[in-house]
Amino acid sequence: MAGLSTRHLLGIKDLNRNDIEKIFETADNFKTVLNRPIKKVPSLRDVTIANIFFENSTRTRLSFELAEKRLSADVVNFAASSSSVSKGETLIDTVNNILAMKVDMVVMRHPYAGAGIFLSKHVNAQIVNAGDGAHEHPTQALLDAFSIRERYGDVAGKKVVIVGDILHSRVALSNILCLKQLGAEVMVCGPTTLIPKYIGSLGVKVEHDLRKALNWCDVANMLRIQLERQDIKYFPSLREYTMMFGLNKQILDSLDKEITVMHPGPINRGVEITSDVADSKQSIILDQVENGVAIRMAVLYLLAGQAV
Amino acid sequence: MNLLIKSATVTDPASSFNNKVADILIKDGIIQEIAADIDGEDIEIFDAEGYHVSPGLFDLNCNIGELGLETKEDLETGTAAAAAGGFTGIALMPNTQPPVHSKAEVEYLLNRAKNNLVDIYPLGTISHKREGKDMAEMYDMYKSGAKAFTDGNRPVQDAGLMERAMLYVQNFGARVISYPEDISIAGKAKMNEGVVSTMLGMKGIPALAEELMIARDLYLAEDTGAAIHFTTISTAHAIELIREAKRKGVNVTCDVALHNLVLTDEALMDFDSHYKVKPPLRTQKDVDALIAGVKDGTIDAIVTQHTPHEVEFKAVEFEVAEYGMIGLQTALPVALSAGLSPEMIIEKMSVNPRRILTADTAAIEHGANANLIVFDARSEWEYNKQNNRSKSYNSPFLGQNLKGKVLLSINNNKIAKF
Repeated sequence: MAGLSTRHLLGIKDLNRNDIEKIFETADNFKTVLNRPIKKVPSLRDVTIANIFFENSTRTRLSFELAEKRLSADVVNFAASSSSVSKGETLIDTVNNILAMKVDMVVMRHPYAGAGIFLSKHVNAQIVNAGDGAHEHPTQALLDAFSIRERYGDVAGKKVVIVGDILHSRVALSNILCLKQLGAEVMVCGPTTLIPKYIGSLGVKVEHDLRKALNWCDVANMLRIQLERQDIKYFPSLREYTMMFGLNKQILDSLDKEITVMHPGPINRGVEITSDVADSKQSIILDQVENGVAIRMAVLYLLAGQAV
Repeated sequence: MNLLIKSATVTDPASSFNNKVADILIKDGIIQEIAADIDGEDIEIFDAEGYHVSPGLFDLNCNIGELGLETKEDLETGTAAAAAGGFTGIALMPNTQPPVHSKAEVEYLLNRAKNNLVDIYPLGTISHKREGKDMAEMYDMYKSGAKAFTDGNRPVQDAGLMERAMLYVQNFGARVISYPEDISIAGKAKMNEGVVSTMLGMKGIPALAEELMIARDLYLAEDTGAAIHFTTISTAHAIELIREAKRKGVNVTCDVALHNLVLTDEALMDFDSHYKVKPPLRTQKDVDALIAGVKDGTIDAIVTQHTPHEVEFKAVEFEVAEYGMIGLQTALPVALSAGLSPEMIIEKMSVNPRRILTADTAAIEHGANANLIVFDARSEWEYNKQNNRSKSYNSPFLGQNLKGKVLLSINNNKIAKF
């Protein structure tokens, strides 16, 4: 089994284009498996994976856990609030305690950027980043690109706009890096207060007018507004955000072309996206969720193949 | 303490012997004679051929854990690291617990440092308890030995308080030191705002946070006629603001931290908290402008901003790691690596900072107190845990080969050899 060029998956930054193609091809196979009556393969039997979540998550943790179980891995879950840091136990100690119980891989979500990179230098286990602060969320970006590939046959040349709170979004950064790697054109769109000043250095376009952005793109990825991530107010009210950046059926129908609508979930219906858009033919939101399990199976399988 | 230093190159821009090779005879801690060839009988001789002899270095911005943070550094280890780095005088930031905000703390520190080779200069706070609200008893502290006032790494946000402090210290001729940062602009960001922070998904501290505060304090200094010193400026535009103010005749001086002269935010790509400092490491453009500012005289002094932390405060996620690195012992080689000449280094790290703080002068002259160092600008040495004198190890230079070594530090009739 040929693996990836990296021992950990800490970010899209770790992957080259070959790695991404390999993950997609492997995910194609696993997606077939997932649609069979018997959805389980023995690939990771005797591999123990700990899902360590220092931040609340339902769907990412569930998606990873299902991927691990479909691969026949042994799975343990550990949820701790990040406040455990202030209670005295360091991240290194927490993870080493879990590793002492003979765990092979760690899937970690953490509220701080770079936590996975930091950990990979201090503990002896393979680490998969399930989201670190506003830094990266590589498996989300992979499943998003995989879903675009599934819809259009190829990612190269496609125009993708990411709409919302770019400043606080790990999904945005990983998506930008992944889509650029695969040859897509990327634009970000959102309130000026939530677009990092130097985002252009990543080779993306910036647009503050939602209608213009939608008319430009093939795919719109609508980010969830997460007020809990904002330490201060970056816009006056959700109502006003929705007025400027909410996607509704009326705007969608007024465009010159039929675009594809994505969302990393969970949706705030009526905020960044209305129900009729979320449930429309143009939305591939539930396909993204299904593909998430296949992508995570592929990542874990390929990383485990180079454990030694 | 008696010593005859043979064949040293005098590097002291303030001395009539500058750039001359000479012998220096020290008796009872006083420079008795400087001449081409002095015979030494019954006296210890130090052969300094090829080495520089200079006034002892002086650090305007340094953190020693006393009071309250002695697990990071105490006066014994802090002054030992200073002496090993060639510093014979250090100004202590009041970033302590309690802060140095009354004469009790000032006198405690001065008493603790009596009979030390290294002179210490406690800086007092501007505000009571360093809370940024009401003025501390600055005159009382001044009478006890505090020569300048600053709220350290908790910069005064209230413009009215800063204005009153600038007016008040003129009653007794002291100086206010400003670490310029507008907290409402900097927010909770932990690194420079730029291309690197974007790649790392981190919020950035914009250069604006520093420049806005410099602009405010320059206005206040101009309006009140006070002498203002900015410590650890870090952006290209900050230098322009200060250059322009100096041209206009505002009584302003400033310094830069050594690490901001040699490192950029690129060092953070792996989230290594050893590089987490405040002000943050900026871009190459800023580094180039800072070096130019040092050379053209806009920047008067260079500081170490020595900030010790136990490993527990650094070996954590970048977001929660403490700011700062230690720097006393590595100052000379780091300054040399920035491309500064020995003479420039002595001007910026000894002559000017002593003048800014009105500290005791150090000069290579007949009859002066022997407050001097001997260093070799060429020899290489490995800086490691064994020869590190600080109580803490939070230096990104640990384990590296450094060029430029302090061999002797002499002050207060005491000598330390390295």
